[in-house]
Amino acid sequence: MEPINMKKIALLFIVQAAVLGLSSASLAQEDPFQTVMTPAFSPITWERLVNAENEPENWLMYSGTLDSQRYSTLDEINTSNVSEMELQWAYQIPVIDRAETVPLVVDGIMFITEAPSNLVAVDAATGRQYWRYDHELPDDLRICCGRNNRGVAILGETLFMSTLDAHLVAIDARTGNVLWDREVADYQSGYSKTAAPLIVKDKVVTGIAGGEFGIRGFIDAYDAETGELAWRTYTIPGEGETGNDSWSGDSWKTGGAATWITGSYDAEANLIYWGTGNPGPDWNGDVRLGDNLYSDSAMALNGDTGELEWHFQFTPHDVHDYDAIQIPILADIPFEGRTRKVMMWANRNAFFYTIDRETGEFLIGKPYASQTWAQGLDVNGRPIRVPGMAPTYEGIMVSPPIVGATNWYSPAYSKDTGLFYVTSFDGEQEFFKRDEDYEEGERFTGGGGRYTQPMDAFHSSIRAIKPATAEIEWEFPIQPRSSAGITTTAGGLLFTGSADGYFFALDAASGEELWHMSLGRRVHAAPMTYAVNGKQYVTMASGNVVYTFALED
Amino acid sequence: MRTSLSVKRLLLLGFSVILLAALSTTQFPPAFAEDAGNLYNTPFDVGMGERYFERQCSRCHGFDAKGNDETGAPDLTGRLSRASSNVGIYNILREGIAGTAMLPVPTDLPESQVWQLVAYIDSLSTDPTNVVLNGIAEAGRDLFSGKGDCDSCHMVNGRGGRHGPDLSRVGERRSPEELLSDITDPHLDVAPRWWTIKVTGADGVPREGLRMNEDSFSLRIMDDDSNLWSFPKNQIESYERSQDSTMPSYAQSLTDEEVDDLVAFLFFLRKEI
Repeated sequence: MEPINMKKIALLFIVQAAVLGLSSASLAQEDPFQTVMTPAFSPITWERLVNAENEPENWLMYSGTLDSQRYSTLDEINTSNVSEMELQWAYQIPVIDRAETVPLVVDGIMFITEAPSNLVAVDAATGRQYWRYDHELPDDLRICCGRNNRGVAILGETLFMSTLDAHLVAIDARTGNVLWDREVADYQSGYSKTAAPLIVKDKVVTGIAGGEFGIRGFIDAYDAETGELAWRTYTIPGEGETGNDSWSGDSWKTGGAATWITGSYDAEANLIYWGTGNPGPDWNGDVRLGDNLYSDSAMALNGDTGELEWHFQFTPHDVHDYDAIQIPILADIPFEGRTRKVMMWANRNAFFYTIDRETGEFLIGKPYASQTWAQGLDVNGRPIRVPGMAPTYEGIMVSPPIVGATNWYSPAYSKDTGLFYVTSFDGEQEFFKRDEDYEEGERFTGGGGRYTQPMDAFHSSIRAIKPATAEIEWEFPIQPRSSAGITTTAGGLLFTGSADGYFFALDAASGEELWHMSLGRRVHAAPMTYAVNGKQYVTMASGNVVYTFALED
Repeated sequence: MRTSLSVKRLLLLGFSVILLAALSTTQFPPAFAEDAGNLYNTPFDVGMGERYFERQCSRCHGFDAKGNDETGAPDLTGRLSRASSNVGIYNILREGIAGTAMLPVPTDLPESQVWQLVAYIDSLSTDPTNVVLNGIAEAGRDLFSGKGDCDSCHMVNGRGGRHGPDLSRVGERRSPEELLSDITDPHLDVAPRWWTIKVTGADGVPREGLRMNEDSFSLRIMDDDSNLWSFPKNQIESYERSQDSTMPSYAQSLTDEEVDDLVAFLFFLRKEI
């Protein structure tokens, strides 16, 4: 579909050319910085978000589309020419930290989130700034794992951003002005927010971080217009609710189950899918006997009310910090002779799962990375534990290590290959248990871990998995462990990055290396792709810099 | 620096006692950062500091405080690059390190707990003034460049070979026990920098050398003649990696006394004493 906005831009060019009496040839050579051109930014309606795949020039949400496939139909850059990609521009984030951002692109404008909780709008063709928003933060934050922000959501002309002090902020996409600023939870109790929200109809659906601080996790929906809370669904059932008895004593009150990455949505089923994090304290399960619902689970919530429709717990009574903080990928795939509506999930616990997304029925699951904690999965997908693998006071070696066989970084799916792609790690670590009392605002983890080998001794790779069989189709080795996400395109490409600072492209069908570029510092983000004036770009953050590549004109 | 601190600490402790006696009507002054002495450094305090560390700091620095390349959190078990004294450690704990993930401890954390944490971090490194060694450093120096032939591979202060780690400040990061193990059992814990790679590149010539650096797409080695080679992995014909050390064990070729002398020499190799 030829997007209206591109036409508008083209029209502006023609009008300018006519007014200035310039030939189209001289216009084409004009310095882009001199060209006065207002992008035809048109409001992002819910219908546009539902059909985001049909406007691949834009990247309208964290995972590209509501099904989170991270698959773009753009194919100007493809397997035959990706090796000719060249740097177009770089944007340096002023705060020195690390960029975990996945920018959005809306009609030629790119929105980049920065550490700690800032947001900048730039021209997507040049990387030059329109406006910036610096969120004021208190100096006594409680954050477990760095000052990160992973991205924003957009609806209408408003951007929605999570902040480290556990606020949700609505920002005018044309100016950077704050429209409303809502406290989601008390940061001094250990709550924080890092993930991009998800728009569902007229609401902003968003999770919470703080699983290492004894919080009680939840998923919230806010009215996009007013910022009023529409519903809150706790990830740990309260007293009298089903599942509350899966926690011994009062442990449910401080049981964690945070929701610190973005979920997915199926418009047909009207279901929101969201992953939940570890039960707390992470490594000492003695104080929270039971399955600890709904920690380490996929939760399917009604898109209007937030009511729990079904859940699937990957790791009951987790004692290894195997968060189910992965992005659910939704697709319709052939499975045992018929098309099934599934949710695919490569879990931190080293198992890959294909689940019926309408009912939560477990279809198939197998390990996709090294693991020593489970003998396998039973017919319902529940792990059969290896006895004696819980952390001890003296330390016990378990695979995968705390960081997991994968983690929060985005997996991807390709409609062309039918393969699921994940950044995986085959490692092991000594796990320790400690006795700790809960104190509000303090870490509540009950232990920790220690590597006994250098990181270079372990194996890491990009793995392609066949979702119908959970078998590995191919793997591409990288080193050391990567925390980069993955994006696929109709050009037959898989884009991702590595901890040693590379941005690279593989053939999505075969895993063959097609292009790589050293960006110099660790890649913590996921790539995304978009187009301006019909030209395809690919963007990836590395270190503190956002780099954008394209084919030369 | 840190080593001379214990003397300072004693002096200050003495001074504090005198001060306390002189100002007996006033409250005992809290241990502000301006004070050089840590009043909370008993084994109990160190234990309390360790508990706090495991809970609040180990996520980034590791349960063994040996740091984490991924989080950028440094190894705290040797000489600290950003703090040369207990006061320096205290200041970092209280203020954090701007522009990094190192956040300050909560503002309401009592002074006693901060100092207990200082005491624990301080306890992770070996204070050479408190160490009595069997060996004689001078004799070890002779062995290093003589019978041991260590300097054919290792440099100390700009003199020596290139095929082992520079040992000019090895005492800051290795305890005497670790140094003994390094000499007698060198294959035990070899850093990836000192692994050996055999590689055949696009020219078909096999080469072998120390693994200076390796990443997802390329590889760099130094061969026996100190030549530096860089290989794109997609053009490598063959590749073999050994995680053993190229260093021989000296358990048999040196006597126990000689090993002790060598340990003594190496342990006192540091920036300043």
